[in-house]
Amino acid sequence: MKQTNIAPKIRVPQRTLWKNVAKHRYLYFMVLPCIVFFIVFSYIPMGGLLLAFKDYKFNKGILGSPWIGFDYFETFFNSYQSGMLIKNTLIISGMKLFLYLPFPILLALMFNEVRNKWFKNISQSILYLPHFISWVVVVGLVQRILAPDNGLLNQVIANMGGDGSTFYMMDPQYFYQIMFGSHLWKSIGWDSIIYMAAIAGVNSDMYEAAKIDGAGKLREVWSITLPSITPTIVILFILSLGNVLSAGFDQLYLLRTPGNMHLADILDTYIIQIGLQGGQYGYATAVGMMQGVIGLVLVVMANRISRKVSDTALW
Amino acid sequence: MPELFSVKNVPDVFHKTNYRKGEIRVNKKWAKFLALPLMAAMLLAGCSNSNNGGNASGNASGGASVAPEDRPATWIADRKIKGLVFMGTDDYTEDMNPEIKAEIKKRTGIDFEIEIMKASKSIDGLVAGIAANDLPDFIAFYLNNSGRPEMQVVLKAAREGIFTDLAPLMKDTKVYSKYLQDDYLPNDTKYGVMFRPEFDGSAYFIHMNVNRQSGYDSRKYVGGPYIRKDIAEALGVDPRTIKTTDQLYELAKKIKAGGFKDNNGKDVVPIGPNYWGGQEIGRLFADLEWGEDGQWIRPDDQGKVLHESQTPNVLKKVEYVQKLLAEKLIHPEFFTVDETQATEGALNGTWGIIANTHNYQDYNQDMHYLPLGPLNTLDGEYQMQVAFKSGYSAWAIPSTTKKPEEVMQFADYLSSREGKLLWMYGLEGRDYTLGADGFPLVKQEVIDLKANDPNAAKALGFGGVRNWWGELLGSTDIDKMADFGEMEYGEKLQEATSQGALEIAKYWDWDAKRQQANVFDAYSPNAFLGEFSRGAELKAAFDNYRDSLVKAYYSKSLDNAKQVLDSALKQMQAAGLDEYLKLVEEKNADPHTKVSFRASY
Repeated sequence: MKQTNIAPKIRVPQRTLWKNVAKHRYLYFMVLPCIVFFIVFSYIPMGGLLLAFKDYKFNKGILGSPWIGFDYFETFFNSYQSGMLIKNTLIISGMKLFLYLPFPILLALMFNEVRNKWFKNISQSILYLPHFISWVVVVGLVQRILAPDNGLLNQVIANMGGDGSTFYMMDPQYFYQIMFGSHLWKSIGWDSIIYMAAIAGVNSDMYEAAKIDGAGKLREVWSITLPSITPTIVILFILSLGNVLSAGFDQLYLLRTPGNMHLADILDTYIIQIGLQGGQYGYATAVGMMQGVIGLVLVVMANRISRKVSDTALW
Repeated sequence: MPELFSVKNVPDVFHKTNYRKGEIRVNKKWAKFLALPLMAAMLLAGCSNSNNGGNASGNASGGASVAPEDRPATWIADRKIKGLVFMGTDDYTEDMNPEIKAEIKKRTGIDFEIEIMKASKSIDGLVAGIAANDLPDFIAFYLNNSGRPEMQVVLKAAREGIFTDLAPLMKDTKVYSKYLQDDYLPNDTKYGVMFRPEFDGSAYFIHMNVNRQSGYDSRKYVGGPYIRKDIAEALGVDPRTIKTTDQLYELAKKIKAGGFKDNNGKDVVPIGPNYWGGQEIGRLFADLEWGEDGQWIRPDDQGKVLHESQTPNVLKKVEYVQKLLAEKLIHPEFFTVDETQATEGALNGTWGIIANTHNYQDYNQDMHYLPLGPLNTLDGEYQMQVAFKSGYSAWAIPSTTKKPEEVMQFADYLSSREGKLLWMYGLEGRDYTLGADGFPLVKQEVIDLKANDPNAAKALGFGGVRNWWGELLGSTDIDKMADFGEMEYGEKLQEATSQGALEIAKYWDWDAKRQQANVFDAYSPNAFLGEFSRGAELKAAFDNYRDSLVKAYYSKSLDNAKQVLDSALKQMQAAGLDEYLKLVEEKNADPHTKVSFRASY
C-alpha cells in the first residue's frame, strides 16, 4: 500500500458542531443582532431585484406584475447614453479606486511619524471632520469658492492681476480636478484610520532590530511598515472593487452642471433620473442590479488572484 | 340599575367603621391602585372626546358640539379626511388653525388634515409616494396642463387602477357636476387631463382652478423682467419703452457704466437671474425665443412645425447670451444659480434687472422695482395671451379610500361659496363681517397683522392670510367678483397689501393689454408626449437639449456651441423628434386638440 502524507479529511460530526454552538452560545447570541440586521436590510430587499425582470404595475405589486425577461438590459445597452454612462462611471470610480488609494496610506504613515501628541490629535480631528459634513454642504462650499467673479479663488486670481471670471463648475476641463479634490478632502482623514490601526499593530521589535541594523526612517517605512500593512491594503482594495460601478451618487449629482454633464453623468445619477424621477422602477432596478453583479464578479476575481499571488484574501 | 349607584349600595370598602384598622389601610391602597387607571382612562376618554368633535364645542362662533339631530344641511359624515400634498410650497401649513378646523367639523362632520410630502422636486415625492402605495384619502399634486411631467406619473397610476373613478361621484355634486357639462371645461382639462378618450368616460383626476367664466382673470398678474426704479430714473429710461433684446442690451450696458450699488454697497449686476433660481427666462429674450421656453416648438414662416434646434434662430440667441456673458452684463450663473442666492440678490437690490418676478410679491409692494417692457416676441409686438379657462393643480382619490363619495362631497363643499368663504376669508366675526350686500368685509386688524407679522397672520389659517389649504380641494369654479365682490382679498380696504400689485398693473397698463388679449383654448406642444410611443425617450432627449442649450451659452465660441446643439439635436432625432413634430402638426389640425405655440404670457 502506497503511503501518502495527506492527512485524512476530518469530518466534524453534526453533534460536535451543535455542542460547540451550545458551548459558545453567548458569543453566538452576541452576533445574532448582526445576522438579523443583514437578513432584514440586505438579504430580504434582494427580493426586489425581481423588478429588473418585470413590468412593474402599481396595483399588482412586484410578484403580480408580468415578466418581461431581459428587456430592460437590452434597452439600456441600446440607449445612446449607455456607452457614455459606463465610460464616465469607470473613469470616476477608477480615479477614486486607484489614484486615491495611496493618499490615505501616506497620511497614515505621516501621522505615525508625528511625535507631538497634541499636534497629532488636533490635526487628526481636523482631517476627520470633513467626513461628517454632507455632500450637499461640501458641494455648496466648492461652488462658492469656485464661483465666477465673486468666488474666493477667482478673487485671489483677480487680485493677482488675472481674469477672475472663470466659471470652474461649468467648464468641463476642471471637472475631474474638482471631483477628485473634493473627494480627497472629504474622505482622506476618515479612510486613514484603518491604516493607522494596522500600523499600530506592527511589532515594535522589528523597528528596533532595523534601527540596530542602521535603517533610516524611510527604510523602516519601506521595509517594515508597508509590508506589514499590505494585507490590510489588499483586503480594503478588494472590498472597494465591489463598488467599481458606483462612483458616488451624492457628489456627482450635486457637482453636475450643463457644462460638465457629459463627464459627470454616471450610472448612479442615471438610475435616480429614470427610476425615481421617471417612474421606471424596473428599468432602474435592472441597471442597479448590473452594477451589483459586476461588482460581485470583480470582488471574486480579485480575491482569487490575490490569494494566488500574495496569500492574502478575504476567504 | 339605578340602585347600584345609590348611596346605600356603595361597597362597604368605603365604610371605615366596618373594618379593622389594618384592613382599612389595605383597602385604601387598593382604592389608590384602582383610582390610577381609572383616572388615566378618564383622561384618555376626555382627550379622545375632544378629538372626536369636542373641538367644535370650543369654537369662537359659539357652536355647541354637533348632535345628530341638529346636523346642518352641509353635513357629510363624521369621519377624517386626510390628504397628502405633493407640492413643494410654503402656501400651506400642516397644522391647521383649531378654530377653523372646528368650524369645518361643525359644518360637515369632517376632520380635515393635510400632510405635505417634502422632496427636493415635487415630482420625486409624487413618484415615491405612489410607488409606496400607501396613500391617504386623497392626494394633490401640480398639474398645469397635460404636458406637465407629473401627468405621465399619475396617468400610469390611473391606468393601473390606483385611483377611483370620479365621474360617477361628480354627478351628485353642486359644483363639480359642472365639469360634466359640455362647454364648461377647457379642451386640455377635458380631453387631455380628465376625460381622456382612453378612459371611456371615466375620470381619475380633478383638474383644479377652472374659472366659472371664460377668459376670467383671477388676478392682474404682471410677470417678467423688472428693473430697479431708482436706476431707471437715474438713467432717464422709461422701462416700458424697452421692447427688443437690442434695447435690453443697451440698457444693461448703461446700468453697468452707471456704477450703481446694492443695499450692501456692492456693485449692481445689470441683469440678475429669475427670482426663484437660475433658469432660462423666455420673457427676457422674447424676440429670440422659439415658442414657449422649455418647449421651444413652433411653426416657421411656411407653417412647418420645428424645434428651435432645427432653426438658425437658436444661434442668434446663443450669440446674444454669449455677448451678455462676455461683457459681464448678465449674472455669470444666470442659468444655474440656486434660489437662495437669486432671491437674496433681488431683496438686496443687487440685480439691476430681475429676469423674472411678479407684482404680487411682498418685497415689491412699494414698487421699488418696475416692470420692464414687455418685450416683443417672434410674432411681433407683444400681445397678452389669456387661456379660455385654465387649470392648475389636481387631486385624485386612491382606490383604497373608503367611501370616496364623501371626499368628493367634501371637495364640493369647499368649492361652494360657503366653503370658499371659510377657507379664503376665515371666520365671520373673527376675521371679517358681512356687508349689507352679502359680501365679506375684511377686518382691518387682520390686514394689519398680515402686514406686520405675516407668520402670525398665517396661523389664522385661511387663504387671505396666505394659508391656502382650501385651494387643494376647493379652488375651482372661480369667480371672486361674483362670490365676494372683490378680485383680491381685502381689496376694498385701501391699505390692503396687494394695492402695490394693482398699482404696478396700472403702471403696466394691464387693463388695456387685457382688452387686446388673445383668448385661446389649446394644448401646449409637449402635451402629447404621453401618447407618443417613444415619449419617455424623447422627454429625456428634450431634457438633454435644455442642458445643452446652457452648455452652448458657456461654450468658448459660436462654433463650439453649434457642435453642442447639433449633438443634442441628433439625440432628439434619434428619440423620434421628427415623428413627434408631425404628430403635433396633426393634432393642431384637429379642432379638438388645437395647439398654442405662443408663449403663454
